[in-house]
Amino acid sequence: MSENTIETEVISIIADVSGFETEEINPDSKLADDLEIDSIKAIEIVVALEKKYKISVRDEDVPKITTVRETTELVSRLLKQEKMAHVPS
Amino acid sequence: MSRANQPAYDAIIIGSGISGLVCGNYLAKAGMKVLIAEQHHKPGGYCTSFMRRGFIFDAAAHSFGGYRENGILWKVFQDFSLDKKIRITRYDPSDILLTPENRVCLWSDPERTIEDIRASFPEEADTYGEFVSMLMNPSLNSFARMRSWTFKDLLDQFFRNEALKAMLAFPIFGNGALPPSRIAAFIGAKIFTEFLLDGGYYPDGGMHVMSKALAERFQEYGGELLLSTPVRKIRVHNGKVRGVVIRNTLIESRHVIANCDARQTFLSLVGKKHLPGEFAHKLNHMIPSLSMFVLYLGMDQPFLQNAGSNVWYLPHFDLENMYHSAARRSHKNIAEFMMRFSPDRKSILAFVHAPYRNKSFWLNNKEKFIESFIMHLSQVMPDIAQHILYKEAATPHTMHRYTLNYRGAAYGWESIHSQLADVDFRRPSFLQNLSLTGHWSTQGLGIPGVAYLGYDTAATLLKRRILPS
Repeated sequence: MSENTIETEVISIIADVSGFETEEINPDSKLADDLEIDSIKAIEIVVALEKKYKISVRDEDVPKITTVRETTELVSRLLKQEKMAHVPS
Repeated sequence: MSRANQPAYDAIIIGSGISGLVCGNYLAKAGMKVLIAEQHHKPGGYCTSFMRRGFIFDAAAHSFGGYRENGILWKVFQDFSLDKKIRITRYDPSDILLTPENRVCLWSDPERTIEDIRASFPEEADTYGEFVSMLMNPSLNSFARMRSWTFKDLLDQFFRNEALKAMLAFPIFGNGALPPSRIAAFIGAKIFTEFLLDGGYYPDGGMHVMSKALAERFQEYGGELLLSTPVRKIRVHNGKVRGVVIRNTLIESRHVIANCDARQTFLSLVGKKHLPGEFAHKLNHMIPSLSMFVLYLGMDQPFLQNAGSNVWYLPHFDLENMYHSAARRSHKNIAEFMMRFSPDRKSILAFVHAPYRNKSFWLNNKEKFIESFIMHLSQVMPDIAQHILYKEAATPHTMHRYTLNYRGAAYGWESIHSQLADVDFRRPSFLQNLSLTGHWSTQGLGIPGVAYLGYDTAATLLKRRILPS
């Protein structure tokens, strides 16, 4: 899956949860300041991402996601780790 | 620009429960043209009252929380100046947890509760303080840890004593219809914070006073409220919602907000042909919360103690078992219950969770339930039977008849992890311009929960341009 696809999908999930239109959201949007995502909505986004990509975000990484770009990067990184773990040696 | 070619409304809200009323008020106040259509002859959904032989009985909801400064109900009251219409009293203790051996009061002052706990569970008193402090100052970290837990996991992190754990979990069972091992920690924590740590508020005159004030304010903002007006269809064209059908007439609207039962919304109002197969399959497998059997008693003399407090009686500590027996409830297995002495000291509301069953079951069993329930209440109030002037009850079928909640469900879908935070139950991706709000939208329950959803739904439609109060 390309980084671009992930970015589009992440933005769509953030749009669903925040109520902002996808056109209003860009990689630099700050979750709290620009998109009014409070801690409850932040958890909703994390849960939605975990369900969609079948990944597991570490608890201590949740507060580190503050922008759309950081969210996308985290998903890409976890998907890569997932892939590495399944490569036969 | 004239409205000639525009839809008649900016938003039509189906159902005048608290979430619909709060949402409608925000939208109408912001200048939108809004219609609320309600099938019943009065507004409020589960938040209403009725009068019999001079007694005022709250139908289901009997107090509310989230009214501390900056709480969601406080915000709603400020934003719509409801304090000019209603007086709110806080009853203290809001809740009393009672077992055959112990009694713990939940006071508005947590320090006082801690001392109550110390009397029966000395080793857990300070832990309760830590538990409350975590709930009152939630950090993203604690939320993150909690997201896959059950409420039992959360209690186990703090407490050791099984009796106290059961006592603290019992009001969550009452207000969420699930035992701690099944209810999501996040929802359990919200109920504990909003209903118990900030609970016990009551509009003077009865719960209907709050719904009525919200309905009046909505109309003062220019909103239209149609009572006794069931919506027959939500009209969909090319994946877009165009309006609703009322009395065989299509009424067009830019947005439709369903504050009613989700199965009814999707299966009968929208229609199965507009649902993606995968979603229809999911909908058919969702589990609704249990319903309830509510007993209303009018008394011959005012009682002196505990007016306005919710008394939670648990005869044993196996909440798992309570849940399973509630799902098969007969008049012979009423054990645990909640009873509340009305703030006006004249009447009692008590409830147990119960399954929907069929109409003939309740026709044959309602009276037996009433008598058995009164007998059980005498464990808390020994001479109760001699002081009853009037008795009536609402069965799960009554709940369904007045609100059309699927199977008379008390709290929408069960708040288990797999059924929470599902975006398709808030803003279905396959139907443009349709939103769901209220306790069927998988994101919250109870008056504070649905009031928040009403606010959030309005904020989304208004692109978050709600001015702070």
